[in-house]
Amino acid sequence: MADTTISTEKEARVSFREKLAEVFVYGKSMVPALAVLLIILVALFGTSTPNFLAYTNFKAIISNIPIIAIMSVGMTFVILIGGLDISVGSVLGFTAVNVALFHHMGFPAWAIGLVCLGIGIIFGSFNGIIITRVGVNPVITTLGTMALARGMASWFALDIESLKLGRIFDQQFLLIARRYFPKEAQLIPITLIYVIVLYIGMSLVLKYTRYGRRVYAVGSNEYAARLAGINVSRIKFSAYVMSGIMASLAGMILVSQLSLGRDDAGLGSELEVITAVVLGGVSLAGGKGNLLGVIISVLILGVIRNGMVHLQETIGISYYWREVVKGAILILAISIDAARLMAVKKRQVVRQ
Amino acid sequence: MAKTAETVAEQRGGKKFRLSSTAILFLFFVVMVAAFAALSRDFYSIYNVTSMLTNIAFSGIVAGTLTLVMIMGGLDISIGGNIALTSCLVAYIYNMENAPATGIIILIAIALGATIGGFNGFVITRLDLNPIITTLGTMAITRGMGYVLTKSRSILILEDVVGFIGRGTIAKLPFPLILFIVVYTVLTFIMGRSKFGRKIYCIGANQEAAKLSGINIRKVKFITYLVSGIAASISGLILTGQSAVGMPQHATGSELDVITAVLLGGTSLAGGKGSVLGTLAGVLILGVLYNGFTMIGFRYVHIRVFQGVILILVVSLYEVREKKKY
Repeated sequence: MADTTISTEKEARVSFREKLAEVFVYGKSMVPALAVLLIILVALFGTSTPNFLAYTNFKAIISNIPIIAIMSVGMTFVILIGGLDISVGSVLGFTAVNVALFHHMGFPAWAIGLVCLGIGIIFGSFNGIIITRVGVNPVITTLGTMALARGMASWFALDIESLKLGRIFDQQFLLIARRYFPKEAQLIPITLIYVIVLYIGMSLVLKYTRYGRRVYAVGSNEYAARLAGINVSRIKFSAYVMSGIMASLAGMILVSQLSLGRDDAGLGSELEVITAVVLGGVSLAGGKGNLLGVIISVLILGVIRNGMVHLQETIGISYYWREVVKGAILILAISIDAARLMAVKKRQVVRQ
Repeated sequence: MAKTAETVAEQRGGKKFRLSSTAILFLFFVVMVAAFAALSRDFYSIYNVTSMLTNIAFSGIVAGTLTLVMIMGGLDISIGGNIALTSCLVAYIYNMENAPATGIIILIAIALGATIGGFNGFVITRLDLNPIITTLGTMAITRGMGYVLTKSRSILILEDVVGFIGRGTIAKLPFPLILFIVVYTVLTFIMGRSKFGRKIYCIGANQEAAKLSGINIRKVKFITYLVSGIAASISGLILTGQSAVGMPQHATGSELDVITAVLLGGTSLAGGKGSVLGTLAGVLILGVLYNGFTMIGFRYVHIRVFQGVILILVVSLYEVREKKKY
């Protein structure tokens, strides 16, 4: 009798482990694992620092994530088609400088918005044309655009220094990211609404439209997609344009939040964006992943960034560790990606 | 059979009319030197030539080892962060109480480079990770460690600790230049004559075939990334010696410069193709170009724009040329 109970216990334990593995290792989406990670992180920071769970801090986290969240949408498209875009941080910086420039020329808010959109489209198309028409490796192309956009941003900013350091005073423009709902309580920032609308909209596009399915098709097997009659270059081109637009819109919102357009805006943010997307389960090989995972990992990164400030206050861990942590998480994220891929492959071999 | 022989002959005959890309690059280099000498009187001053050669040596050493990595089909973007961290660590150790002797500081710096390179190599080979993203992560880690070590300040080095490596001369030749020549001689020998070099070409051309032919891919890859890390720390020592300051912002964007030089030299990102000699030409051209632009009166921000344009232009030209072949 005793033996059988032990063995059933063992079996139960094994089957529980299998179930866990089913969800976290072989599962199609990273969402459950990420959600658990987010909860653990919040609990950790919440218990180890006194002010982390305060409502004002929640607001701080929420108002900090839109920039990375918006850029991550564009990056998701690019990584889904099997590419990479490391120019997003520089495009953001270039947009920020141009917002300041056009503001001082006296353009109204809507015109500045159009200029931002134009900048995004121009840089995105430039990347897209070089990558799809000329056939250059996306990393190298966007590395070049990264230097180009940042260099041009600094170039234009040489004149801005005389214009009171790029300050923006146009209320209309500032309200783009500084409105709160409902008006009296000031609970929900408008940027959060942008992010939610954008993520829901783009998820629907990816899941239910012909275009979205084609993005997945091109990423998972380019050759097969071509044989199926999909215009592969056009899909790829559109992904880079999307990435450019998202980067410039993020730049516009950042300037509106800070009321400051500087050439070093978004320096190194490409790293965080790539980390968010890869950690969110979008495979670097292309064709796999969804935006739900991405937004959760954007939240995770935001929580870590914010929590480290609190850690400095309470335990005295230098905030300068943030770059190190960023890099470590990126390597960890791609390791998980690779490990999952290996595990799934191994199981497939066993099953055959 | 006859047809294939004919096509081979045709190809060989065709080649006679075309200079090799490396030769074209060196020709271009000579023309450019002449042009800048005509445009700017100060271009040929001893001071400018020395500073130009030192700069070329600084980025050239890393470009040489990066050539190996890229021929193998990999990439190492952590170079800039590695250089910055080396300079920070050297300055930090120098400022400690009872700092060790110069020789030991240099050894520690090189050990640091080896650790970073070894880490890259280990993670990339063991977990089979994408080298670009991995080294992007290492870049953030190393530069971040620089910020942690220096608390985001510049640390001055008041005594001549590693100054010789950056500013010293042997028989009137700048020491970095001598290092540069030694590194390129060794690398040319390795890639042209040694078994290890052939293995690198083989892995870059076809990794699967290389594996099947019994090459220990992991070992070769690991060693190559290791060497790249060590070279970066040597460049870091040169930069520290030159500037006598350790700061985490050192060499920001230098990876762009170095990658451009390697690509300009004809190494393809896909791997399996390229030469150390080509990279030498690329390094010389870019070094003279940036220096010449500065002498003519362009500012750093303009040169940054040129860097991006040149990179995209170079790879596009190679791509178009490649397409024309078929």
